[in-house]
Amino acid sequence: MNNATDVRSKGSHAAGNGASGKSSGGASGGETPDARGAGMRRILDRETRSSRAGVSGVAAVLVILLCGYGLLEAAVRAVGQPPWLIDPQTAAERIIALPQGMPPLLLAVLGAVTAMAGLFFLLNAVLPGRRARHLLPDPRAGVVVDDEVIASALARRARLAANVTQEQVMVVVSQRQVTVNVRPTSGVPVSENAVLAAVLEELREMAPEPMPEVRVNVATSGVIGA
Amino acid sequence: MNNTPRTLNRILIGILGVKLLVIGLLLVLLATVPAVASWWQQWSAGVWSGISQLLQRTGIPGREESWVWAVIALLLAVVIGLMVAWVAQQGKGRANLIVAEDDAEDFPGNVRIGGGVAEQALRAALAERQDLAGATVATYEIRGEPALKIRLQPRHGVAPHLLAADVSALVEALDAVVGKRVPVLIHIGAGARSRFGRAERVR
Repeated sequence: MNNATDVRSKGSHAAGNGASGKSSGGASGGETPDARGAGMRRILDRETRSSRAGVSGVAAVLVILLCGYGLLEAAVRAVGQPPWLIDPQTAAERIIALPQGMPPLLLAVLGAVTAMAGLFFLLNAVLPGRRARHLLPDPRAGVVVDDEVIASALARRARLAANVTQEQVMVVVSQRQVTVNVRPTSGVPVSENAVLAAVLEELREMAPEPMPEVRVNVATSGVIGA
Repeated sequence: MNNTPRTLNRILIGILGVKLLVIGLLLVLLATVPAVASWWQQWSAGVWSGISQLLQRTGIPGREESWVWAVIALLLAVVIGLMVAWVAQQGKGRANLIVAEDDAEDFPGNVRIGGGVAEQALRAALAERQDLAGATVATYEIRGEPALKIRLQPRHGVAPHLLAADVSALVEALDAVVGKRVPVLIHIGAGARSRFGRAERVR
């Protein structure tokens, strides 16, 4: 247990070194966006955030359906034909009398569902919508990498350092943290420091922005026959 | 990379979200709080009497129906049209040319190089790589300037920085061929093909 906390503090310390090295490199990197084209910073900003195109499509379809029904009833009323589903007059009267004429439980559930849908759209609009991606430094092109790809590269490196099979390593990459979970083969000890050093080395070569901290967890129970 | 109207998306989604939230909360309050129910019946009855008076005053001569219905139908049709236009804006921005400029001073005419040149060249160069499950190249137009987007799907465990360096070298070779440096975005992503494909065992 004591050993594990020791590794964690070492891990954050080493990652802190890497981050400071990155920031000094970032000062010189401040001039490179011009070399990569004028709009590169903007392109990279847009690539690391969601465009909300899917949610926009859902919202537009919802509005189109509602307006389409309203259009049908209004047009039917305008030309003096009998209504399709409900006459606007009766609809308005029912809405005015609302707590009556409807089971309160159904009304409450309907309201809750509508409010949840509203909250979903509102949060989608308000939250920053950051995607699970990191930037890599490159002199010529802007490089965006999905966190999944970084995780699989780090998992390969950790697997080689720990000398275990692919299934025994799981790496989770988030914006500011990398968690490496290793399940050793039963009877064969795994050196946490070796895994940590290998992962840190790989991350230092990769230099993703923002630089995440590394945490290595070695499971106490081993895997048999791996 | 594309010209999806992001600010517009956020604003319109936000408006819809606020409206749905208010309607939903009102329905919940109507069902649970009696005071809100009595207030709602008074308030909405007042609003509706105003509307029905308007409908009676605006009758078409010779017929009992109001022309307000036709106006409402027209407005709803306009809203539907605007929604369709909004959806059509998503993901726009593909371009055909990566170079279109007049670089010969005295001679008439200008030089145009299609995006297909870059796309085909890069795709052919990337096709032989064993560590890629897929690669697509597309030309976009960012604020009137052409730009290339290279989307790579590496297999399991491929180091992204080495891959990016290789592709970046390919792009520099392309620069020399085309004679102009266009902005390039390399997106190294995980897709279904890289997720379920076999891992690269020897590299």
